[in-house]
Amino acid sequence: MRLPLAWLRTYVDLPDDVDAIADKLSMLGFPVESIERKPTITGVVVGRITAIEKHPNADRLQVCTIDIGAAKTLTIATAATNVAAGQWIPVAQIGAILPHVTIAPRKMRGVESEGMLCSAEELALPAEWFEDGIMQLDESLPLGSDVVAAFGLCEPILEVEITSNRADAMSVLGIARELAAAYGTALRAPSFENPASLPSPTERAPRIELRSNDCTRFVAQRVEGVRVAPAPSAIRIRLAQAGQRPIDALVDISNYVMLEIGQPLHFYDADAIPNAHLIVRDAAPGERLTTIDERELELDERALIIADENAAQGLAGIKGGSASEVRASTTALLIEGATFVGARIRRTSARFALRTEASSRHERTLPPALADAGVARAAQLLASLGAQLFAPVVAGGEIAPTPQIALASHELRRLLGIAASPDSIAFHLRALGCEVAVDGELLSVRPPWWRRDLTQSVDLIEEYARLEGYDRIPESLPSVPATEVSSARYRREREAAFLLEALGYREVLTYSLVGESLLGTLARGGLDERARSVEVANPLSEEQRYLRASLEAGLLAYLARRDERAAIFEIGHAFARDERSVLETPTIAFARATDPVEQPEWREEGFARVKSDAIALLSRLTGAAVTVASGEHRFLHPGICALLSIGGRELGVVGRLHPYLAQSFALERPVYLAALAFDAIPEYVAPTYAPPSKFPATYRDLALVLAPEIEAAAVERVARAAVGATCVGVRVFDEYRGAQVGAGKKSLAVRITMQSPSETLTDTAVDERIDAAIARLHDELGATVRR
Amino acid sequence: MSALQPQLDDLAQRLRAGADAANDIAALEELRVRFLGRNGEVTLVRRGIGALPPAERPDAGKLINDAVARMEALLDDAKARLARGALDEELQRRIDVTFPAPEASLGSIHPVRRIVDEIADAFGRLGFATVLGDEVEPSYYAFDALNIPADHPAREGFDSFFITPELLLRPHTSPMQIRTMQQHRPPVAILAPGRCYRRDAVDARHLFQFHQVEGLLVAEGIHFGHLKGALAHLSRSLFGPDQRVRFRPSFFPFTEPSAEVDTTCPKCKGNGESCSMCGGSGWIEIGGAGMVHPNVLREVGYDPAVVSGWAFGVGVERIALARYEIDDIRRLIESETEFLRQLQ
Repeated sequence: MRLPLAWLRTYVDLPDDVDAIADKLSMLGFPVESIERKPTITGVVVGRITAIEKHPNADRLQVCTIDIGAAKTLTIATAATNVAAGQWIPVAQIGAILPHVTIAPRKMRGVESEGMLCSAEELALPAEWFEDGIMQLDESLPLGSDVVAAFGLCEPILEVEITSNRADAMSVLGIARELAAAYGTALRAPSFENPASLPSPTERAPRIELRSNDCTRFVAQRVEGVRVAPAPSAIRIRLAQAGQRPIDALVDISNYVMLEIGQPLHFYDADAIPNAHLIVRDAAPGERLTTIDERELELDERALIIADENAAQGLAGIKGGSASEVRASTTALLIEGATFVGARIRRTSARFALRTEASSRHERTLPPALADAGVARAAQLLASLGAQLFAPVVAGGEIAPTPQIALASHELRRLLGIAASPDSIAFHLRALGCEVAVDGELLSVRPPWWRRDLTQSVDLIEEYARLEGYDRIPESLPSVPATEVSSARYRREREAAFLLEALGYREVLTYSLVGESLLGTLARGGLDERARSVEVANPLSEEQRYLRASLEAGLLAYLARRDERAAIFEIGHAFARDERSVLETPTIAFARATDPVEQPEWREEGFARVKSDAIALLSRLTGAAVTVASGEHRFLHPGICALLSIGGRELGVVGRLHPYLAQSFALERPVYLAALAFDAIPEYVAPTYAPPSKFPATYRDLALVLAPEIEAAAVERVARAAVGATCVGVRVFDEYRGAQVGAGKKSLAVRITMQSPSETLTDTAVDERIDAAIARLHDELGATVRR
Repeated sequence: MSALQPQLDDLAQRLRAGADAANDIAALEELRVRFLGRNGEVTLVRRGIGALPPAERPDAGKLINDAVARMEALLDDAKARLARGALDEELQRRIDVTFPAPEASLGSIHPVRRIVDEIADAFGRLGFATVLGDEVEPSYYAFDALNIPADHPAREGFDSFFITPELLLRPHTSPMQIRTMQQHRPPVAILAPGRCYRRDAVDARHLFQFHQVEGLLVAEGIHFGHLKGALAHLSRSLFGPDQRVRFRPSFFPFTEPSAEVDTTCPKCKGNGESCSMCGGSGWIEIGGAGMVHPNVLREVGYDPAVVSGWAFGVGVERIALARYEIDDIRRLIESETEFLRQLQ
């Protein structure tokens, strides 16, 4: 919200230093986002053009005689075309400083010019919002008076953020109230008395019908004898400083009251409302409204409208309709000041993407009494322009008083950690307009009508802390009692990350929301992820329409962005559609893009590396042995894909990227992936220590010839079972295919290690077990021993 | 004095001369055989004992044994000298220690995780547990239970991504407050880090996904001063011992009183003066905080008259930008190798 400091100063005495005021506001909970500083302007006074004649030597110049209330008039030549005798205008005298120029006496085509007539731009106001040429001032202003001081033209403008709970602070007066309380000075609030003296003539008296509970108060007042003309200078200039374009006196007064005290108003042309009968109701389905900015809206029952007996005349609290808007011919008004349920206004304003100064105030739910105040303020200003006021009509009944809140002073010590005396609490709360009764430790507090956000004792405690200053509360560290909540899950995720770091992987982050470009690439690689992907109802763009169904895709996109060796990991959540909800899977994913290596087609070093990384990670996290079996996964090459499990529980996969996907991502390097379901990984079980055998271990190496589809795991399993209790290790350590074993065969080298805890094994005993193993390997797997 | 002595002394002298001249172990062995061997010179002397005058004979054996011991010691010394000579030669070797070595194959931890972990550690020292939760949450946990009912204007401020009207991507990790308090009786002291989502258009300062760390402490006797102390502790843990914090009043539906939390700008150390990081204010904003609203405590079945507590939320990316002087928040998610390498 733009706050002209000059306007603020009319209600409260403030320090000169704008930065000090900005700091004060920030520390009150109204952060100042920026300060717009104005250039220095001096020496500009109110003048009146008493005579005007053509310049003797220049067609484009006119020579004005100006009365500035002094004995001697000034002669000023001007090129402006909007000047005429009798006008009140700003005059920069000799020596005046304007934003881009200092005024000196000068001859203009032979005529001595003693100053300059000023446009709005020369007074640091937006040129496009004022007269094209010389700015016009009110005729009531004293001649020779200082224009800069009168309108605070050099005072800065503050841009202040108002939190959504402060319906009362969306105005110059609202902020002035806060500053007055904070500085402990008096507030010069405007009167909210309605000066209406004429009883409404019955046939023209407004009739208000509230057909919706979402309008809680509606004040209407008939005003006659109005005239559409420019508003007084003070109003025009203040509006412009506050960022609101001046239009004409009627529109400007309505805006002025809204900016000044926070109540949006609407002025209807009274002649356009049959029987002065206004109805607040839900719109009918298909009902249409043309707004004052000529937007055609098609409404339905979700929209709250103000209608006359025939048609919608405005979108309640948001925007008026063009049919009954004030126009040049308007002479009589119906003023509307109303209170609505904020949520209703907010929803409608969001649905029609119509966010206005009015809606931004109404959506916070304004205090009902403000409706009366706003109408009264407008009536005062219209009366000052000569309008006749008729008595206001109110619908909505009695305004409920604000609640009485009990507050014990020791509660402040309990929640804030500082002692506060009942008197000091009462002092601050009274400064904010509360009625406070003190009874020993106990305070009974009634907030003022404009503070509907104060409903319970903590609200008052915050008000106390705010005015006392948060910086007055000393820092201390709590002594936290032991709690039963565990960090196990976090510690485990952390451990996984640090293990992967040690294994050489760099942690990356990728987007959880993905779109067409990634899904399209996956689809071109034969993977349709749309069907399983969760869709966001309100995405920012097509590129963020879906929740990622895997982390793998993000890692592939990362690798595809650069042609380099890489080892990366991400720990995050993957999402899948579930019948009623969303299936969320915390996942550890890692990938390696390697250099291509020359190797036989049945060997895959890159795979072996990533597999051993995955096994190392899992066994460190669980303390258990990991089982590997061939498997399938949608991202992986069907022949180079392993399932990892512990105790029969499947934990994830590791393998080489599917060639179709490699092609669609344009990944030329070999890429290996692993994906583990974090929550499937069993809890860590601490191992127990077994002292090593005192007797030597013995091993035998065998070269087995087998069919190529027989897996190493099968060889290890069969050999281990055959050797029996003394077997302490079976490991396949080499594979060979080629001429020496013949086509359609492969050779595996396996080392069988044996050891007894109680004796040295004799060669005879070892050979007997090895022979048993060879026999079983032959019977079960068709293996023969190559000698 | 026995006539034997000069003879033995002569032997020792010659052995010494031989040992001094020896260049290798083999030469020493040769000396040992020549002097102390089975047919060596000492043996010859021993055989001559019979030829001595009878009076000298009783001591002769001892004299010879002493001489043998001396000569063996001489040989041992010489052997040790030779052995060390070989080591001394090794000591003359020099390599170029600056010659580049192959890089260790260590990976790296993302700066976001590092900061989360440091915060977890800082609060771990205060007795806080760290908990993790889902990213898709029912609106009950994201809003309703946090004193943000359906029509509350603050909901709009969270500008959330919805899956269904009742299910959304969490705009903060505050749902973990509710979930933890519903599962445990007070006292509760938790930290909840995690990925959050808001509908912010992506630019140098904004991402639609970000990480938040939420802190919650509820117990008897917990007050606002503790909140200030805890966040000062956090800031000092992250940015250094001279950090200060500033609390400004603000509004969050789930806390009352509420505050925005600033800390000394780590770049200009609070001097301001045309600092590019803090815009000259000397402060940077790190998050929001406040005393847990009594409505939230009641919602989870805690009695606000008995226990009190506070909660805070800090933005991890924002802290990362300040700490590492990162020019563009997108770098955190692009995770380019060069970026990760510099911050590893």
